[in-house]
Amino acid sequence: MTGDTVSLSNTTGQWLRKASRTLISLPFAYTAMVILLIVAYFMRPSLLTPMLLLLIARQAAPLGIAVLGQSLCMRVLSLDLSAGGVVVGVSYILTSGLLPYPEPVLMLIAVAFGIAVGLLNAFFITRLRASSVIVTLAVTMVITGVAVAFSQLRSPGDAPEILTELVRFKIGIVPVVLVIWAALLIAVAVFIRKSVFGRYVDAIGANPRAAWVSGIPYVRVVTIVHVMSSLFAVFAGFLLIGFVGVGSMDLGRDLALNSLAAVILGGVTFGSGKGGVLGPTVAALMLTFTFNLLTSLGLGEPAKLMLQGIIIGAAAAAYSVQRKN
Amino acid sequence: MSALVCAAMMISFDKVSKRFGSNFALRDVSFDCEAGSVHAITGENGAGKSTLMNLLAGLFPVDGGEIRLHGKQLSPKSPADARSLGISTIYQELTLLPNLTIAENLFLGREPVRLGRIDRSGMREQARSMMARLGSGMDIDTYCGNLSVADQHLVEIAKGVSADADIFIFDEPTAALNAPEVEKLGELLASLKAQGKLVFYVSHRLDEIFRFCDRVTVLKDGRHVETRETRALTRDGLVSLMVGRVLSKFFPARPARSEAAPVALSVRDLQVQEGGPAVSFDVERGEIVGLAGLEGQGQRDIIRALSGLEPSASGMVIKSGEAGSAPLAFDVTKTVRSGVGFVPEDRKTEGLYLSLSIDRNITLGMLRRLNVWQLVPRRHDVIAELMRRLNIRSAGARQEVGELSGGNQQKVMIGRWLAAGIDVLLLEEPTRGVDVGAKAEIYELLREFTKGGGAVLTLSSELLELLGLCDRILVVRQNEIVAELDGAQATEEEVMRHALVGRADNGVHVDA
Amino acid sequence: MLWWVAQIMVCMSMLELARKSRRTGLSPIVLALPVALFVLLCLSSDTFRSLENLANVNSQITALMIASLGQGIVAISGGIDLSVGSVMSLTSAILVTADPAWGIPLALAMGVCVGLINGFGVTLFRVHPLVMTLATMTFVQGVALLLHPVPGGVVPGYLRTLAVSQVAGMPAAFFWCTAAILLAWFLLTRSPLGPRIYAVGANPVSAGRNGIAVMRLKVACFVLCSLSAVIAGIFLTARVGAGDATMGAPYSLDTVTAMALGGIQLAGGTGSVLGVVAGVITLGLISNGMNLLGVSPFLRAALTGVLLLMAIGLQRREAIGA
Repeated sequence: MTGDTVSLSNTTGQWLRKASRTLISLPFAYTAMVILLIVAYFMRPSLLTPMLLLLIARQAAPLGIAVLGQSLCMRVLSLDLSAGGVVVGVSYILTSGLLPYPEPVLMLIAVAFGIAVGLLNAFFITRLRASSVIVTLAVTMVITGVAVAFSQLRSPGDAPEILTELVRFKIGIVPVVLVIWAALLIAVAVFIRKSVFGRYVDAIGANPRAAWVSGIPYVRVVTIVHVMSSLFAVFAGFLLIGFVGVGSMDLGRDLALNSLAAVILGGVTFGSGKGGVLGPTVAALMLTFTFNLLTSLGLGEPAKLMLQGIIIGAAAAAYSVQRKN
Repeated sequence: MSALVCAAMMISFDKVSKRFGSNFALRDVSFDCEAGSVHAITGENGAGKSTLMNLLAGLFPVDGGEIRLHGKQLSPKSPADARSLGISTIYQELTLLPNLTIAENLFLGREPVRLGRIDRSGMREQARSMMARLGSGMDIDTYCGNLSVADQHLVEIAKGVSADADIFIFDEPTAALNAPEVEKLGELLASLKAQGKLVFYVSHRLDEIFRFCDRVTVLKDGRHVETRETRALTRDGLVSLMVGRVLSKFFPARPARSEAAPVALSVRDLQVQEGGPAVSFDVERGEIVGLAGLEGQGQRDIIRALSGLEPSASGMVIKSGEAGSAPLAFDVTKTVRSGVGFVPEDRKTEGLYLSLSIDRNITLGMLRRLNVWQLVPRRHDVIAELMRRLNIRSAGARQEVGELSGGNQQKVMIGRWLAAGIDVLLLEEPTRGVDVGAKAEIYELLREFTKGGGAVLTLSSELLELLGLCDRILVVRQNEIVAELDGAQATEEEVMRHALVGRADNGVHVDA
Repeated sequence: MLWWVAQIMVCMSMLELARKSRRTGLSPIVLALPVALFVLLCLSSDTFRSLENLANVNSQITALMIASLGQGIVAISGGIDLSVGSVMSLTSAILVTADPAWGIPLALAMGVCVGLINGFGVTLFRVHPLVMTLATMTFVQGVALLLHPVPGGVVPGYLRTLAVSQVAGMPAAFFWCTAAILLAWFLLTRSPLGPRIYAVGANPVSAGRNGIAVMRLKVACFVLCSLSAVIAGIFLTARVGAGDATMGAPYSLDTVTAMALGGIQLAGGTGSVLGVVAGVITLGLISNGMNLLGVSPFLRAALTGVLLLMAIGLQRREAIGA
């Protein structure tokens, strides 16, 4: 009996400590979200209606899904900037009409394509030990170049009906896209928390050298992470194509950079191996909300880019200073 | 400074102490040194030789007492400060840049400049004469990365000697040199001496101490033992000054061993590098075997090769356990999977995940047989039981390992493998940076592990630890096993003799 | 196409085998690649051989050459700079929007600022150079678009003259290239900074123990790189004759590709001016050749990507990850 109570109070204490630590370790996305909502309340209160908020959340879903992959990558001290390329590739597969297959088969092909890109990235990063940023940027260059060159030969086709219907579908007032996003989010969070894979990801992030010395299957874990990241980019691509309704080579162009910004803002820092799934998700919402706010204030692409740059640079610098102290 | 050279310059150490945490690295060390002499500093591993010299080189401050130069207090704040005070240190580890030529390395940061450009011809000429002083005819336009380790050390020495200094510290300068080069180094030392410089010569090579040095200071456990003229000493006399510590009582008793215990790890012709010497030995179940020797003689390479961290290693290593016998591949992941755990010396960079909790750190070992897709088994009971057994003092299993004391961190690292159910444990420095109480607990733990049928292979720079803990001691010198001693009977002097002299007449020749 | 890829693969692997020289990263293959390409193009295309086209190639690669020399200095010091392209774009935007007298000084000042931000971010704040320069790349691109949203505008007349006129039968681009190469060559092999940059790139800790101000030197390398990007931007804008806030975008990765092709190790400490020159010419010839063969510019970009992948795939590093 006494043992039970002791362990109970212990775990409550630990839980409280852990909760406060989590709060401290994820400040940027949350505080920024709060500040944004206040700014919006005074400058553009119209953005804060439930209808618009749900719409913005729906719009954030592709980024939110891509962020899941990016945060996994960053946790094993790698980066994946190939999301844009993957989306372009998916768009080409689904809408070019080049492949004479029914829609579900095309989508399966797109998934296979994603796996292939992930494996390619992982091969260069783990086996040849090339820099992940350069590799994924180069892969994007190759995919985009090929897809654009070929798509000039024919006009873009329509998006598969499954996707356009899917993104329009609602349960009550909640878009089904949000449900899918939440489901993926929870699945990933639980898997990372409960599986051997998740433990290895944490270990590699916390101390890659120790992970190597103690025999953790390093290459395998990083490979799986990159394949998962590319798969998430494929899903993000599905949603984006559904939103737009037609194939486009401009789709998902800033997905990679935005996901990087969201992950950093969400408290996953490079080299500390820390970070949950929730922080980056809030950051994805926050970024999307910010871009909408900027647009409604009449600031366009340039402001968006400048903000992305500041976020990535300043947040990375701030975390690194925080860690040093 | 240079004007003072011919005066009888003196460095005196006056009750110098240095502490790291609660451990005294140096305690009340007092002795004097004269200008125009070569002064040897010697002692066993961990006696405090390097610490003493590092104080002089400005790597860290003195905690108690003072160092005086000409009677004035000397307290260099940084290596650069020490250099400006006229102290030049030739470190054992190399600071040469592999992609610069010898000449460029010698003048890095102080290149002779004329009209905005490097005065190449002047620089090369000076570099050539600097190398010539060491009797080396090396092409000064060679990139240092293309030089042999011995040649690199010569360049490092040339760089240190070229400094405008009055005091020179040579930290184990001959570890990588061969005979003719050592000869030249002797001449160099003599010429420095003739110029009235003071040279500190840190070494445990007896013949060099007797040939090159005028006086010798012996340290032991951070205390000053003796400073004497080398002429007044014999070899045996010097060795007896270095050894002779008391074995403490906190080692667990060695169980009586049956004659034919099954072999747990059979090592045959293990070559760490191609062309290097091959070693062969067995580790039986229920036995703790120690690799002894001076630092850097190859003990570490042997343990690392067995752990699978040296992919270029070759040889036949067979591991036998409950599940049968199988050869070990030189691959870490496979080695761990087959039941061999490795505890590295540097637990902060190679051993632990400091930002993860205790239970996370321990659980990672238990996952070695699982597939990455499987769920982590919930084994709080096992971890709680293990933490009790290891007596890990913490705020709970969820505490971050980085917040624990060194001893408790070490226990977590060993506990990870115990929880993983491995049956061979390879340890580097099992108790480095661990307080006395935790040391005893760790020894007890290792003994318990072997009683349960496990086998331990360990190395330690603390000879007393090996003498107290091990059933058998293998002495390693220059990458070879030169002696095999019974741990219960071996003495410090015996091990040191093998470690210093090598294959002596009475040395036991161990081979397959 | 496949034959090309195979050919280049073979060349690159030989390059790897032949990497004997510790510092320059030069191997017969690095140098033979542009020569072989040149001969091949001469044999296969009459248009290529024309003096006009050769002058054109020279003019096409000049901006890449200048920017790559800067990138090379950063790479040798152990860093990488992805903001090169955006800095070129912003330079272009500044030149056509600012008062003609102030355009160049303003652009140079901007280059110094970006270099300082990159340098301090990497050294003082210890942000990974890839992440840091990715951030400035994005930010500077935003500023450029803000300043000059639509391509166009008038380039000051004197700049136009400097970029496109001919002197003694040689195109001006030739002199821009030569000047940049000589400057970089002097810096890396003749000035006292040269060995220090190589030292810091090979091992910053050892370099520091030898009394080198590692942080200051790294910041200086980033500033030099940004400045060379500004100059590349000035030339490119003058040559095109109009401002364009995205004109530099491809250059960030193109300069990295040129590095990798020229035997410059992105891990730092290995590389040479000659290597940069060889890498740039290789890339320029491939681009020009494909142009002559009528290959889509998008496919050309894809091929650059393939080249980049192969070249860095052959540079083995210690660490896995970013």
